Amino acid sequence: MTGVAPALSVRGLRSGYGNGGDIVCGIDLDQAPESILAVIGPNGSGKSTFVKTLAGLLRPRAGTVVVTGTDVSHLSPARRVASGLAYVPQEANVFGNLTIGENLKLATEFLSGRAGVGPAQRQQVMALFPEIAVRPKLLAGNLSGGQRQMLAFACALLANPEVLLLDEPSAGLSPKFVGETMEAVTRVRESGVTVLLVEQNVAAALRVADEVMVLVAGRRSLRVPARDVSSADLAALFFAKAG
Amino acid sequence: MVAQLILDGLVTGLLLALPALALTLTFAILHFPNFAIGAMLTLGSYAAWIANSLLGIPLAMAAVLAALAMAVVAMLCDFLVFARLRDRGSMTLLVASMGVSLILENVCRFSFGNSTRNFAIEVARPIRWHGLRINHEQLITAVTVVACVILMQMLLHASPLGRAMRAVADNPSLAAVRGVERQTVSSITWCLAGVLSALSGVLAGMDRAVDPLLGWNYQIPIFAAAILGGLGSPTGAIVGALVIGLAEELSSLVLPTNYRQIVSFAVILMLLLVRSQGLFGGKAVRK
Amino acid sequence: MIAYLTTLLVLVAVSALVGLALNLQWGVAGLVNFGVVGFVALGAYATAVLSPPLGWFAGMVAAAALCAVASTALALLSIRLEENYLAIVTIGFGEAVRILLLNETWLTGGALGIADIPRPFVSLVSPARYDVVLLCFSLALVAIVFTVLEMLIRSPFGRVLRAVRDDATVAAALGKPVLMLRIKAFAIGGAVMGVAGALHAFYLTYIDPSQFTSIITAYAFMAVIAGGRGSNVGLLFGAGTIMALLEATRFLKDAVEMIDGTQLAALRLGLIGLGIVLLLLLRPQGLFSEPRRRVRDFFPNDGGPN
Repeated sequence: MTGVAPALSVRGLRSGYGNGGDIVCGIDLDQAPESILAVIGPNGSGKSTFVKTLAGLLRPRAGTVVVTGTDVSHLSPARRVASGLAYVPQEANVFGNLTIGENLKLATEFLSGRAGVGPAQRQQVMALFPEIAVRPKLLAGNLSGGQRQMLAFACALLANPEVLLLDEPSAGLSPKFVGETMEAVTRVRESGVTVLLVEQNVAAALRVADEVMVLVAGRRSLRVPARDVSSADLAALFFAKAG
Repeated sequence: MVAQLILDGLVTGLLLALPALALTLTFAILHFPNFAIGAMLTLGSYAAWIANSLLGIPLAMAAVLAALAMAVVAMLCDFLVFARLRDRGSMTLLVASMGVSLILENVCRFSFGNSTRNFAIEVARPIRWHGLRINHEQLITAVTVVACVILMQMLLHASPLGRAMRAVADNPSLAAVRGVERQTVSSITWCLAGVLSALSGVLAGMDRAVDPLLGWNYQIPIFAAAILGGLGSPTGAIVGALVIGLAEELSSLVLPTNYRQIVSFAVILMLLLVRSQGLFGGKAVRK
Repeated sequence: MIAYLTTLLVLVAVSALVGLALNLQWGVAGLVNFGVVGFVALGAYATAVLSPPLGWFAGMVAAAALCAVASTALALLSIRLEENYLAIVTIGFGEAVRILLLNETWLTGGALGIADIPRPFVSLVSPARYDVVLLCFSLALVAIVFTVLEMLIRSPFGRVLRAVRDDATVAAALGKPVLMLRIKAFAIGGAVMGVAGALHAFYLTYIDPSQFTSIITAYAFMAVIAGGRGSNVGLLFGAGTIMALLEATRFLKDAVEMIDGTQLAALRLGLIGLGIVLLLLLRPQGLFSEPRRRVRDFFPNDGGPN
């Protein structure tokens, strides 16, 4: 990673809900461009909270988030998208009451001045997800789980992001679809996007990830290339006592 | 005669459609029923009355001015009160909207007292058509409301803003990460609600007269219409309004006219017993 | 001056009862009742109609029972739905009561109302002393209701209501028994509003629909918010403070020549509305905060958080 500026850079990030304690307890992270980073950890370790804070849905209590050189720490989620950060939530990741066509239109209509958003980008994205372009008048809520996932990916990618955040993309999918989803993630990386992937399904994540970060009790406890991870390490980390 | 009642009922229903639409829009996008809807109607009618009777501006222009004024007032209410209470739950918003209702209504009462006021318009003879009596106010109401409804539907379904509004209604945080600023959509929604309330205030003021309780007297029929159609469904609000209008007029066949208000209340009770999500709405069950 | 103070205190007592009732319904159980004035009116009229034949005590009890029944009916209809629906239904109820009172003249006298309502203990003392008796009666009533409601709030009944008041998920998980508890709370609150109406009728001996306007509902909400939702002690302070402020506006009318009766009424209502909004924005926990509940209050057998 030497010499290349990180696509995503996080320093000392802390966040939590309401008046409760910190769930994300100080995370530092640099992610190289066009790489896939898998964030894994036991239940309750704060993975979802972490990625929501990166996306802007939760205000950070401390720390910074920098996307390709732009500090987005205090931007609203909508402005973060305009700065190159896209997010696919775990559930409810498409607008069920809007048609497929409307979902796709919406994905780019409000990105004031974001470079690279246009017909060329659209063609590229549709090439990655050919199945969804066929029936634009279908209500997104009537799609199957896997198809919704594809639509959600496509909408996020239409914004021409530098960094794509994925929150448990394999959740609730059948094993066949998990494979297809992970394959889609790889294709996304090939098209030049940096991907940060929160996953509960560790095996699936390890198959596509370049690097792995383990989160335990809101803190980073391991950061290694994927090939260096052994199941023994993971078991020890997952079941170790916090802090 | 029943045909006359049906005509009157449809026109009453059309008049209810605008505030019902405003109510259902704010409910869909902001997730609470705005109990100040009647007061907004009242304030809108007074604004038009000031422009029309006190300043001598023709009623059509006065209505436009009132609409602009109410758009600003509605946005202010959001900015000062509702947006700040958004994270406190719909119960707090409910009670806050009742407080706002008291303020708006009593600003009118304090300024102009309880006596009824009238717009400065020419009295024209009703039109006779196939034995039915249609007066000019009814024609104006019908034309205005139908135009507004068509514009609203076009806005909601054929424009980026409409898509953004429906997206925020569907899933606000997803809309945020797709580039839609929630506060902007919220302000625009209040703007539209203000415009619709003001226009309906003018129409109501033409139909009855302008007084501080004008909007309050419509409050329950408005809610009945929106619930009947399904809270959150614009099409439903319009259909519901027509049905309530018809029900109120036709009820005069069996009930004395003083009891018309109870008709709407009875409709609400029946809906809650039978089908609380109304005709087009989503589930209303406590989550 | 004594007469004025007596009047004031009895009015405060009526308002305090209404406030205590709403505090149970909304402050503790989280049920929004926008039709408060309807229940108070129902209680007053029930008393007026039933006391001459049955005696004042039976009349008062009947008023409370009738209000409890009406409350239960409304709550049953809407308890499973989002809180919005109860709010809407209670507004409708309030309006329906108003219309019925105005129009069913055979029962209610319409706009003319009902006069010659019998009063409690009236035969015990001379008319000159009666005011004091009524005042004591009012205060005793408030004290009894306060004690009963306070006991309810501190009991397991109250604790469950509080726990689910703000947490819909917990409420859903606990299911039907909780719904029944909430309906009971709503009914008890309704009954107390009926008693408040009865006291109003006893005091004035003459009631008509114009006495029951939306200021009663608005005032009750402001008292509950100012007192800190759920705290009965806070409510009494809140009710007293607001009443004092409202009465102060009466002197405003004398001081400023230009304000007439209608404007005074509008000013009061508008100020209450403003007060509600400001309190919700700036001091939602009330002017006198709810005593902090400790974990031990919910789980008395637990050792506390680990």
